[in-house]
Amino acid sequence: MSLLQSIKNYVRSRSIHVSYVDVGSCNGCDIEVLACLSPRYDIEQYGIYVHNNPREADILLVIGAYTPGWEEKLATLWEKIPEPKAAIAIGNCPISGCLFNRPHTYIDPPVAKHIPIAAEVPGCPPRPTEILAAVLAVAPIVFRDFEVKR
Amino acid sequence: MPFSLVYYLSHFARIEWVKNFFAAKTAPLETPPYFRGFPELTGELCQHSLFCMMACPAPGAIDVVHSGKKWEPRIHKGHCIRCGLCVEACPHGVLRSGRILDTIHREHTTLSFSFRIDIDPDKCMGCGNCAVACPVNKVIDAQMSHGGKASTDQLLLRVNAGKSEVLHMEKCTGCKTCENHCPNEAIRVSRLLEAVQNPEAP
Repeated sequence: MSLLQSIKNYVRSRSIHVSYVDVGSCNGCDIEVLACLSPRYDIEQYGIYVHNNPREADILLVIGAYTPGWEEKLATLWEKIPEPKAAIAIGNCPISGCLFNRPHTYIDPPVAKHIPIAAEVPGCPPRPTEILAAVLAVAPIVFRDFEVKR
Repeated sequence: MPFSLVYYLSHFARIEWVKNFFAAKTAPLETPPYFRGFPELTGELCQHSLFCMMACPAPGAIDVVHSGKKWEPRIHKGHCIRCGLCVEACPHGVLRSGRILDTIHREHTTLSFSFRIDIDPDKCMGCGNCAVACPVNKVIDAQMSHGGKASTDQLLLRVNAGKSEVLHMEKCTGCKTCENHCPNEAIRVSRLLEAVQNPEAP
């Protein structure tokens, strides 16, 4: 492995930029993601930074059960993220639709049908530590030796 | 000498301080014991009472499957909302989650079920599918003909004058077979869950 690649690996392991998108949920998972920023969980000590702009992000946290208003928009948003990138489904809603997946509703889960999902965090809502563990587990798999693997 | 510049600098030159400064500041967070995680098996024998499936509010979260020789509840992550109702509802203590079982033993709490059948008379066509499909009816009157007409009045459901009617609501077991067999969505079964506490019980 070249020296440049090892420098890139080191920098990327301590600088993970996360963006989150809510495609129609009850806001419970949004609160848990924002609780990661609080001093008790404090994701910035692990080198994870939260943005609202997908162009700055490496990891996209998808929250919610995919309401019809997000058709085409979510895929466009996913294309805006520069490589290397990964998407993590937070909560039950993007996995199964959870309680919203009843007859005569318009939601269209799972989100994995629309964009590639690298990891799923079940729970309604998941704990902040579970979200943190998922981001920390996915990041080295996706970002380590990215140029070599490509 | 405790307030000199050297003392001040030596405080920050300690190995632990430097380690804490560059590495993670908080310890890895432990899951608290009162946290209700996904329900786990305790090892008790499942009697196939299906109270867990009746109490579960999330669609598709729990199934009781026959694995090899015995019945076994299976939790589906991604559907389960970790409410713990299946743990409380199980009369045999098959599932475990957080401190729910301890609380049940200490407070002597149980869940009591009752079921309510609502029939919309505007939608009901009187086809009798609900009365024929009902497994409770099948035990009482195995000879029930199609159309849901019957001689005895001990039944749970029966067709009378072109409409379904409920005779004995207390016999319902909440299986929702009638709801699944209704072609017109006229019949609805609702579960009424009530928490009962009896501290005097042994």
